[in-house]
Amino acid sequence: MRSNKAGASGFIYEIVKNRYLYLLALPGMLFLLIFAYTPMLGHLLAFQNYRLSDGLFGSEWVGFKNFEFFFGNKDWLRVTWNTVFLNGLFLVFGIGTAVLLAVLLNEITNKWFKKTVQSFVFLPYFISWLVVSMMVQTVFSSSEGMLNQALTALGFQGVDWYLTPGVWPYILTFVYVWKMAGYNSIIFLASITGISSEYYECAKIEGASRMQQIIYITLPLLRPVIMIMTLLGIGRIFYGDFGMIYALVGDVGVLYPTTDVIDTFAYRALRQMGNFSMSSAIIVYQSSMGLITVILFNWLARRIDSDSRLF
Amino acid sequence: MRERLFLYFVYVLLIGFALICFIPFWIVLINSFADEANIQTSGYQLFPTSFSLNAYSFLLSGKQVFRSYGVTLFVTIVGTTLGVIITASYAYVLSHPKVKYRHVLSFLTFFTMLFGAGLVGFYMLIANWLHLKDSIWALILPYLLNPFYAFILVSYFRSLPYELNEAATVDGANDMYIFFRIIWPVSLPVIATVALFYALQYWNDWYLSLLFIDNYRLHPLQIMIRQLISNLNAMSYVGGSQTDYNIMIPTFGMQLAIVCITIGPIVFVYPFVQKYFIKGMTLGSVKG
Repeated sequence: MRSNKAGASGFIYEIVKNRYLYLLALPGMLFLLIFAYTPMLGHLLAFQNYRLSDGLFGSEWVGFKNFEFFFGNKDWLRVTWNTVFLNGLFLVFGIGTAVLLAVLLNEITNKWFKKTVQSFVFLPYFISWLVVSMMVQTVFSSSEGMLNQALTALGFQGVDWYLTPGVWPYILTFVYVWKMAGYNSIIFLASITGISSEYYECAKIEGASRMQQIIYITLPLLRPVIMIMTLLGIGRIFYGDFGMIYALVGDVGVLYPTTDVIDTFAYRALRQMGNFSMSSAIIVYQSSMGLITVILFNWLARRIDSDSRLF
Repeated sequence: MRERLFLYFVYVLLIGFALICFIPFWIVLINSFADEANIQTSGYQLFPTSFSLNAYSFLLSGKQVFRSYGVTLFVTIVGTTLGVIITASYAYVLSHPKVKYRHVLSFLTFFTMLFGAGLVGFYMLIANWLHLKDSIWALILPYLLNPFYAFILVSYFRSLPYELNEAATVDGANDMYIFFRIIWPVSLPVIATVALFYALQYWNDWYLSLLFIDNYRLHPLQIMIRQLISNLNAMSYVGGSQTDYNIMIPTFGMQLAIVCITIGPIVFVYPFVQKYFIKGMTLGSVKG
């Protein structure tokens, strides 16, 4: 009892003592409370038959019925697979290309050339996915696109890319790498610059070629950074990039079989079908899978190499 | 000799990378000046054979592009200003050794990065509880504090010498004064970096307007791009005064022109701000 009281007055004492600091933090705390924590109540809708007129606390509770419906249909498998598969492709090719780019840039001693190339490859990071989608259309549009022009010029038949779902995972991967490789290469380049030059000098004396130096010095020393980036990516493997997929694919239903991810699926359930509870069930499923994955892989990383863990 | 060959190979690969990144920008820019009939008959060209300002004159003769520019500018300026002030002062408190509950606050902030609220709760909050549908604040408020940027700032504030703080405390200054008058000025490069990240996010965002804005008067530039790509009745949306039906409406041209108008400011300031982003990236990779 007494310790409780001491605890409470300790709390008040702390707040009063550092009142100016807590006042500084107040807008941020209010923001988190309102925009990050309050919306978590939305997860409750997954267990309700939510109706706008009845509100959050007036709607009928239905237990796991929404989940039964969601898992009773093959869609959940399709969107989960698409999400994981696309993110896997993005992760492997994204990091691979970024590492390659950083290693190549590091070989260049001409400062001007290095800077110019870096400016060009970093540029796509700065534009929105909607702008990217316009650029994708200039290439893949079936009648005006440049790819089909090239194909017909070479004597092939043009392809209706927007009607061919099979190629889209690869188109999306290419576009993702195009937009993000320059940005991601910065971290790798920074860690390469941090590698002690003694290693390379030793290697040179031993007669190692540039290629051998890359394979036996640069890449092994980059391993921890690559591990962290991979872990960050795996931690988010159940979160599709809504901004990207919806900008590039939008409502082209033909492409759903290979491009529909959990996020776009939940969006359509909410905005086009107006089914709040269904959409919420999808998101509860996604958030739980996401949380489990992060904790699991962080635990794994800690076991393999305690420097690679995220928290 | 083999080393030389290797180096040439590196140069060729990098030039290839740079070209692939640049060409889509070039296509969009150069074809926005192409004649509409030209695009319709022979598609997008690397070097169009015709030149026309039709797309721009159609676009700029209407009201929508100016409205959208205004919306985007307002959202970017107000959002960035508020966001930076809120994030920096919050991060300062998280980094301050005097604050007993800083670890609790850090955890509560970090947790939101692991477990999100998701679309439904977020949508209900903005639309049903705060009644911000079709309000410009729906485009500003949700992004004011990004935990990732906050932690970049936390790790920077921690690296500052504590004596900065103590000297001022002895002089009787309160913590708010110390933050804005002493810490803020010495942290300006990092704060500028975070500001640029916020500005870029606000300028490029279309998620919030897709969810919450139906009124065309509040459409930001990004949504205007989307409308022009998907809207069949582009002319009435753009709001031009032409009623001459003999003139071909430059549908393709206007799509490209609005893209150029939208990314213009970014590409223009890009050479000057690039280094700040690189700095922010390398700072962010320092584990905090």
